Amino acid sequence: MDYKDGEMMDFYYTAVLMNTAVDYRVIRELFEKGDVETHRDLYGMAKMPSTKIKDLLLSPQSERKLRDWLESKGKVEKACEEYMQLGKQYGIQVVSSLNRMYPVNFRLQTGMPKVLYCRGRTELLKQCSYQGSVAVVGSRNASGYALYATERFSSEFSTKGITVVSGMALGVDRKAHEAALQGCGSTIAILAGGPDNVYPPENAELYKQIVSKGLVISEMPPGQQPLRQYFPSRNRLIAGLSDCTLVMEAGACSGTLHTASFAAVQGKEVFVLPNNIYFENAEGGLKLLEDGCCVLYSSENVIDSVTQSIVRRRLEYPDLMENEENIGGNPVSEASNREKLDLIRLKADKTPDEVTDEEWEALIEDELTLKSLDIDSLCNSLCLPFYRISDLLIRLQMSGRVVLENGKYALTFR
Amino acid sequence: MSSKPSVARIYSGFARGTDCVISELEVSVTPGIPTFSVIGLCDSSIRESHGRIMSALRSSGFNMPKGHVTISISPAYMKKSGSGFDLAMAIGILFASGQIPYSPGRRTYAEGELSLDGSVKGTPGAALRLNKAGSEGFDFVLIPEEERNSARCTGFEGRCVKDLGEACLVFRPNGYLPEKFSIGEEPAISDGKLDISMLKGQEKTKRAIVLSAAGFHNMLLLGSPGSGKTMAAKILSGILPPLDKSETGEVYALYEALEGPAAKISSDRPVRCISPDVTPGKLLGNAMSMTPGEMALANHGVLFADEIMEFPAQVLDLMRKPLEEREVRLFRNGITYVYPADLIFVGAGNPCKCGMFYEPGSRCKCSAGTRKRYLTRLSGPFLERVDIFSEMRSIGKDDMALMYADSASAESPAVRDKVARCWEMQNRRYGGKVFNSSVNAANLADAMELSKDILSYCSDLASKGLFSARGYQKTLRLARTIADYEGRSDVTKADVSEAAVFRAHEL
Repeated sequence: MDYKDGEMMDFYYTAVLMNTAVDYRVIRELFEKGDVETHRDLYGMAKMPSTKIKDLLLSPQSERKLRDWLESKGKVEKACEEYMQLGKQYGIQVVSSLNRMYPVNFRLQTGMPKVLYCRGRTELLKQCSYQGSVAVVGSRNASGYALYATERFSSEFSTKGITVVSGMALGVDRKAHEAALQGCGSTIAILAGGPDNVYPPENAELYKQIVSKGLVISEMPPGQQPLRQYFPSRNRLIAGLSDCTLVMEAGACSGTLHTASFAAVQGKEVFVLPNNIYFENAEGGLKLLEDGCCVLYSSENVIDSVTQSIVRRRLEYPDLMENEENIGGNPVSEASNREKLDLIRLKADKTPDEVTDEEWEALIEDELTLKSLDIDSLCNSLCLPFYRISDLLIRLQMSGRVVLENGKYALTFR
Repeated sequence: MSSKPSVARIYSGFARGTDCVISELEVSVTPGIPTFSVIGLCDSSIRESHGRIMSALRSSGFNMPKGHVTISISPAYMKKSGSGFDLAMAIGILFASGQIPYSPGRRTYAEGELSLDGSVKGTPGAALRLNKAGSEGFDFVLIPEEERNSARCTGFEGRCVKDLGEACLVFRPNGYLPEKFSIGEEPAISDGKLDISMLKGQEKTKRAIVLSAAGFHNMLLLGSPGSGKTMAAKILSGILPPLDKSETGEVYALYEALEGPAAKISSDRPVRCISPDVTPGKLLGNAMSMTPGEMALANHGVLFADEIMEFPAQVLDLMRKPLEEREVRLFRNGITYVYPADLIFVGAGNPCKCGMFYEPGSRCKCSAGTRKRYLTRLSGPFLERVDIFSEMRSIGKDDMALMYADSASAESPAVRDKVARCWEMQNRRYGGKVFNSSVNAANLADAMELSKDILSYCSDLASKGLFSARGYQKTLRLARTIADYEGRSDVTKADVSEAAVFRAHEL
C-alpha cells in the first residue's frame, strides 16, 4: 500500500503538531486569518522562508512557534517519513476531514482531530453516521453486574447495526468490544497511542479481532506511545464519535467521568447503569445520575436516543448525509412529513381505494415509528384487510425497511 | 326338497384393516357320534359359536344334525376372528343337513352373530365387509337388521333379517326380495359449531384457518394460554364443506369397525383431538388388534394436536410419514394394512415456556435461549409438513365484548361455500380429489399453473431470507390456494407475499 500525496500531507500535518511547538491554537489562528484553507496547506507553508512569517500578522506566541517549526523542518520531515513507514508496515489508513469517510459527528463539532489513523474496516466510520453509534465505557475493574449489562447491551446494539465505540481498556471496554464482535462486529476502538500500539498489552488478542472485524482509530500517528496525558483527549473522541454514551460503572474519580462530561458538553445523552449505592466503585456513576443523567434500564431508550440524533443529523445536515440511499433527493422536514401523513390518513378514511401502495407503506412505517406492532394490530389500526397488509409488509421487508422481530414488525435502523 | 348334500358351501367375510376378505365356508355333516369342529385358524370367538348355533337352531324350530359337523373356513391360512360367521355357519349346517333347500349353483352370503333365541345381531366391521360383498355378485345376501346403516353407506343390495327363522324363509321359492340400500340426505352440519366471526381482532389466524380449509393445509398455531387455539380448531371444522357420499361411507366404515352398529352416519367431517399423552398405538393404530389410530380416524377431517410443544419428540416424528404420504401403514404378520389419512393437521402450542411471547407488553419472562430451546422441540422435518404458521394473542377487552354481542352475523356459512368452490377449482385443475397441499407432480409449477414471474418473485423472497429453501414449495402451494380461494385463475405476487407471511420465520 502506498499513500497518495494528500495522505502524505495528512501525515505531515500530524508530524508538525507532534514534533514542533506548533499546536491547535496556532492552527486555529491560521485558519481564522485565512492563511490556510485546509490542514493540508501546512505542507505548502513549510517551503515558506521564515522571513515571511511576519507578513502573516499572527500573535507573537504563534509567530514564535511557527519560526520554531520552520527551523526544525528536517526533524518534521524525518518524523513524517517514519510515520509513513510504520503506516505502510501495519496497513494503516488515513481518514482526514477532506475524506468522505470522516465521521459526520466529528464534522459537527469543533476541536476534533483533522486526521484520523485507522486500522480495520474504515466503512464503520460511515456506518456510525448513518446507523448510529453508542459509546460504552466504564471501570477497568468492573463488577460482574456491570460486565453482564455491558455484554447484553453491546451485543444487542451490534446486532442492530449500531456501532459500539469504546477505548479497548480492560474491564468494561474490553467486554463491550468482545460482545459487539460476537454480533455484527460493528465496534470501534479509539486508542490513546498510535493505531498500531496495543495498549494494554493484555488485549493483544482482542486488538487482532477488532482489526479484522471492527475498526481501531486514533488521532495519534503510527508508532506513538500512549502517554498519560493523551487519555483525556482520547475520551473526548469516544464521546464525540458516538451519539450517546453509556456509563456502565465509574468510581469516584474515574476517566469514565471525563468521557461522560465530554458527552454532556457536546449535548449528547449520557445513560448510567444504576448500581448499588454501597458499592464504592459505583460512586461516580451514581453521582452522574444525581446530576441528571438518564438511567440505563432498557436498550429501547438508548435506541430512541440514537434514532433521534440520526434523524436530527439527516434533517439538519442533509448535505453531509447525502450519499445515504434511503434519504432520497430532497429531504422533507418533519413537520411537512407529518402533514403529508395526515393527508394520506384522511384519504384512507374516506376513499381507501385511491390510496397508493407507497402511501400505505408510509402509513405503515408511521405506525411502526413509536413501537413495533404485530400484524393483527396493523390490520386493525389501518383498517386494511389481511391480504393487503401482508403484501405491503413483505414488500417493506424486501426493501429492508421493516424487519420481523419476535413476532412483531419493526422499523430497521438505517 | 333337494337331496341331502354331503358338503354345503356358503360365504361370509371378515374385515382386515381397511379391507375385507370374503371367505368360503364348507360345512359337512357325516354320520357318527355328534361332534362339532371349526377349522381354519379360527379364534375362540368363532369356536364358541357351537353353543350359540345349537341353541339358535333349536329356538327357531330346527335341529342340530346328529353326526360329525365339520366347518372349514377358507382361506385357511388367515387368522380369523369375530362372531359374524354365526349366521353363515348356521345356514350352512341347515343346508348340509337338508333342513332347508340347497341349490349348489346359487351362491349365498350371510353374516351376523346369533343369539341363543335365534335373533341376528350386527358385528363391527360391517361397512367394510358389505362394501366387498356388495361387489361380488352373490345370489342371496343376508345381513342383520342392525347393519342397515352400513348397508346404506355402501350402496348395497341385499336383505336385512331379524332372526334365523326369517333368514331361512328367504330360500323358499320367490322368498328372496332384495332391498337396494342407499344413502340419502344425511344430517346437515350442525350449526352449533363456533362461528369464524368469533376470531375478532385476530386477522392473521382468521385468514390462516380459512386458507387451511381451502387447500387442506396443515397449520401450526402458537399463542398464549387462553388465546383461543382450541376455539380456532373448532371453527376450522365449521368451515369445511360436508363430506360427500363416498367420503361419508368411508368415514362411517372406519367408525363402524371401531364402535360397531352404534356408529352414526353423518356428513360432518371428523375432528379428532390428541393430547401429549397419546401413545404411538393410539396415534397410528394398533397392529395387533387392528384398531385404527387417531390419524386414520381423522381421515377427511381435522386432527388437532393441543399443546404440541409438550408432545414427546418421538411421537411427533411418528406423524411425519403419515402426514407426508397421507396414509397410515400398519404391519402385521408381514402384511401391510393401509389406512388413508387425508387430513388437516392443526397443531397448537405455546410460543415459549411461559407462553406469553406474543402477548402485548413484555409479559414474557423467557430469555432468548430458553425460548429457542423450547422451540427446538419441533424438529425441522416435522415443521416441513406444516404449511401455515400463525401466532395468536389473547383477545382484547373490546373484541371480547363484540364477540358475544353480535352473534347473529354468522360468517362461517359464507366462508364454507367459498371453500367449497375453491375445492372444486382445485379438483378440476388436478382431476380428482387432490388439493393444493397434496398435489404431486414432476413439474409442480405447471401443475399449479404458475407463471415464471411468480416463481422468480418467490425465489427473490427466499433469497431475502423471508423463508427457507424448503419453504419455497410450501409458499407456492399456499399462494395457489389464496388465488383459488379468491376465485382467480392466476396467482399474483400479492398472493405469494401473503403466503410468505404465513411461513415460520422464527422456528
